[in-house]
Amino acid sequence: MVESKIEFIGPRNGNEVKAIMHPLVKEWFFTKFKDFSLTQLYGVAPIHERKNILISAPTGGTKTLTAFLSILNYLVGLSLKNELEDKMYAVYVSPLKALTNDIYFNLERPLAEINELAEKNGLKMQPIRVGLRTGDTTPSERAKMARKTPHIFVTTPESLAIVLTAPKFSENLRSLEFVVVDEIHALANKRGVFLSLMLERLEHFSVITPVRIGLSATIAPIEEIAKFLVGFGRECLIAHVPLIKDIDIGLISPGVDLLTMDGADDQKRLYHILDELIGNHKTTLIFTNTRNATERIIHYLDSHFPGKYSGNIGAHHSSMSRDQRFLIEERLRKGELKVVVSSTSLELGIDIGSIDLVVLLRSPKSVSRALQRIGRAGHQLHSNPKGRFVVTDRDDLVECAILMKHMKEKIIDRVDIPINALDVLAQHIYGMAISQIWNIDEILKLIRKSYCYSSLTKDDFMSVISYLSGDYDLEHRNVYAKIWYDKETKQVGKKGKLARLIYMTNIGTIPEEGFVSVVISSGDSKGSIVGSIDESFLERLKKGDVFVLGGAKYLFIHSKGMKAYVTANVSKSPTIPSWASEQLPLNFDVASAICKFRGLIKERVKNSIECVKFIQEYCYTTAETAGQIYRYCLEQEDFSVMPSDKKMVVELFKQDKEYILFHSMYGRRVNDALSRAYAYVAAQLKHRDIEVGINDNGFFIAGEALDASKIIKGLTSVNLRKIVEEAIEKTDVLKRRFRHCAARSLMILRNYKGRSKSVGKQQVHSHFLYSAVNEISKDFPIMREARREVLNDLMDINNAESILKKIERKDISLEIVRTPLVSPFGLNLLTQSHSDFIKVEDRVNFLRRMHELQMRVIEKR
Amino acid sequence: MKVDFIGKCLLLTEGNERTLAIGDLHLGYEGAMRKAGVMIPVKLYEKCVSDFDLIISKIGKVDNIVILGDLKHEFGSILPDEWKYIVNFIEYVKSKCNKLIVIEGNHDVILFPVLRKMGIVAVDYFVWNNIVFTHGDKEYDEMKNRNIECWVLGHGHPAVNLYDGVKKEKYKCFLSGNYKGKKIIIVPSFFPLVEGTDAREFEMKFAWDFNLNKFKTYIVSDDLKVLDFGELGKISIN
Repeated sequence: MVESKIEFIGPRNGNEVKAIMHPLVKEWFFTKFKDFSLTQLYGVAPIHERKNILISAPTGGTKTLTAFLSILNYLVGLSLKNELEDKMYAVYVSPLKALTNDIYFNLERPLAEINELAEKNGLKMQPIRVGLRTGDTTPSERAKMARKTPHIFVTTPESLAIVLTAPKFSENLRSLEFVVVDEIHALANKRGVFLSLMLERLEHFSVITPVRIGLSATIAPIEEIAKFLVGFGRECLIAHVPLIKDIDIGLISPGVDLLTMDGADDQKRLYHILDELIGNHKTTLIFTNTRNATERIIHYLDSHFPGKYSGNIGAHHSSMSRDQRFLIEERLRKGELKVVVSSTSLELGIDIGSIDLVVLLRSPKSVSRALQRIGRAGHQLHSNPKGRFVVTDRDDLVECAILMKHMKEKIIDRVDIPINALDVLAQHIYGMAISQIWNIDEILKLIRKSYCYSSLTKDDFMSVISYLSGDYDLEHRNVYAKIWYDKETKQVGKKGKLARLIYMTNIGTIPEEGFVSVVISSGDSKGSIVGSIDESFLERLKKGDVFVLGGAKYLFIHSKGMKAYVTANVSKSPTIPSWASEQLPLNFDVASAICKFRGLIKERVKNSIECVKFIQEYCYTTAETAGQIYRYCLEQEDFSVMPSDKKMVVELFKQDKEYILFHSMYGRRVNDALSRAYAYVAAQLKHRDIEVGINDNGFFIAGEALDASKIIKGLTSVNLRKIVEEAIEKTDVLKRRFRHCAARSLMILRNYKGRSKSVGKQQVHSHFLYSAVNEISKDFPIMREARREVLNDLMDINNAESILKKIERKDISLEIVRTPLVSPFGLNLLTQSHSDFIKVEDRVNFLRRMHELQMRVIEKR
Repeated sequence: MKVDFIGKCLLLTEGNERTLAIGDLHLGYEGAMRKAGVMIPVKLYEKCVSDFDLIISKIGKVDNIVILGDLKHEFGSILPDEWKYIVNFIEYVKSKCNKLIVIEGNHDVILFPVLRKMGIVAVDYFVWNNIVFTHGDKEYDEMKNRNIECWVLGHGHPAVNLYDGVKKEKYKCFLSGNYKGKKIIIVPSFFPLVEGTDAREFEMKFAWDFNLNKFKTYIVSDDLKVLDFGELGKISIN
């Protein structure tokens, strides 16, 4: 198959674009807007010329109108000539349900205005209809749409898949001319995989090849995203609209002693900084990385400044109810809130009014995420988005400095889209079989056109067909088969009258997150549900732990199924660390850049003046901040050895146990794979009681008496994959992912025969399922997909492998150093892993004590 | 009285008489799964038979076999041939003993008329010498009689998580301890593929408030071996 042809384009001039427009549309446009935006100068003409295009522009741009201007132009032209047919001309797909609603209104209004203008000018127009369909659309609304075909159909990927299997309604898609995919940057995951297959099905179904228009925020690698949009072997233009607005970005470090911001005094300093920032701006949006941090900040702002932050502050995160979140968004739009603290939920899409300042509290872990977040500030076209990093420890400081550098230099880190995901494939083949009978080679050909499956092997494909057709239990095939496959005629079709119903009610790729209800276990409010936490957080809770939810403290008693039982009115301080469950992994490109940065510092570290000056320029930061970074690196170099992109430092030291600490500055996804592998090797060598700790900066394994050199030699780039696969067998993480994959492949039906099954029930079953599937075969395709997901999407086995290769080739030298205690660079890693056992105050004291010891060792030298 | 753990089963020998106790079976679980939309076929029945064969091959035919309850998982969702499996299994077990006693568990609501038709004793509790066999979710007055020395229970599905520093593995186990002067033996579920509940993490909902942390743990590993791990509360939890 021929590779896709990708071409970057530049903007047209305004007159060219004006020339394209229908006089009525032109009149309407220029009564509303002064001129075309830069994004429109890039995008409108190519769409008019029916060219596939990916428009990448910073958030807050005019992407949506750019996509629709040519389409509306075309439809208005037809409607004035009375040539508008009863069919869908354009489909707009967005992964965000709320955004979809937004878009709908954003189309209705211009159409109404154009209509008015037409009437005023004495022109007659056929009505141009916009239809909206999401999971929330009522049956009566759907019936209405069935009677009057919308010309523009606004929907989500899942609803689109359902529509494509609807026997009558799908006919409207037979001559589709445009497909607009919005928020493509949010689709670097299985949802995107789902969509890419959806687009191929759509194209196959329609006799006209629809023009594909993709809208994205700043993203990399942009050529790959373009290929993802158009599929294999097709052409695509890229409109890479530059960021003309300069971001006003800075970094604030709370002070010289940046060991931690957890101690009482450090807290005061941090919250004073936040208070000052909030005070100097009208509306501030503070991003943290986790829901717990969100709760904590509100809690502490209130306790540090009693009375100041009561009515004008709000939290926004995904475990709040929809109504609660909507209320906050409303109040933000109306300008009633002074500060909103959010985890990742306010990163995307919907309009939240004008924000004067975005504060990034702790690193957002990737440049694209940082840009997304800061892009939420200053929605007006001509105001510069303003953002500030506020860092909380020395590793955070270095990370944010590099992120800031990349943001200023416009170096965007890359995303990965899952390749050859067998569970999404199974769901799609099932859907395809519902619409018609297929020849098996036809299906494979269609699937391979998708960017996500262009390298799918025939074997993998047939194993999915085999699964779907019930080969794994021939005796009860009539019960378990979802499709029939005739080996002689090579045809595939749907099985059972319930097929379409099952598809409709179980479609989707987002794993049903087990939300655990938090229930009061005793007293007056016994039995009342006060909120919910997610499964991964529940996994971390131990009896007696105190956590904060919705601004209040609760003490965890025990859990059963999907309920966590707690008591309220707790005086004890929170004991569970805020980052327990949702840590975002550091992007590999950023991590590598930090490695390189370390190398450059290492070259100059002996000359303090030169080095600080270098850091200042390299990171675009103040002398004070550069000094902090310098001192941190100097401490490491003096105490032990400083790691870099050319040198992997492994430290051996003894504390309560013997530690082997790898300064593997490659992000937690890589470290997850490497640490498990080394731990497994150690266990194979009969070492007992092995403890493992990881973070973005490195990992350690610890045990009673570790033979470091044997352990290190035991892992190679060749045996890594096999070892990690063995290491994850039977672990909770594999079982959880297996449950997700089983649901996507329709092995577990959320909704079956009119009953919807709670995740709790699914939970109980998943352990059983896992054992049951392993009894069938270890190579069951859904099992293999769960492993692939864990190794490639959750961890990063490919980069882990390449690092081991570099070490083997001596491109990176491995240096093993024995140290008297943990080194400066290793301190955070060590204490973080022990925080389950240590209360907050103890952790702070521990950090301070270790640091003092380190300084003493350095002084002695 | 001699107490032996043979794989997942409890063998009690008093003089010449031998009684084998089998824990909760939950036959028909597949049907319940399917009804709930979980489309994975499981050869539960075959596994039960082969597990049981292994045990019988070691100890031979016994005098009494007591099934401690929850023989049937859920009634009504079951395929015709599953019914056949259950009846076959009961007949098969019956053939390896002189007397088969089935204790009613909380899942066995509709089963009993059928069992009685097959000539099987179906009861709430069974007394043999000075031992009471019952499911464990309800108390019966006779259990508290002074001459009763031991209670053998099912219901709890005891299991224990063992952590070797790298991985966590769950194993079925027997729990043996004391309660108000009676010796208590809790038998693990016979149900294959799922280990059960770790008493340190979840309540077992017995009719009594046992101090399970003080009970001794006997872990069932493969090939019928059972290992003494000491007091449950003392086994390291992580």
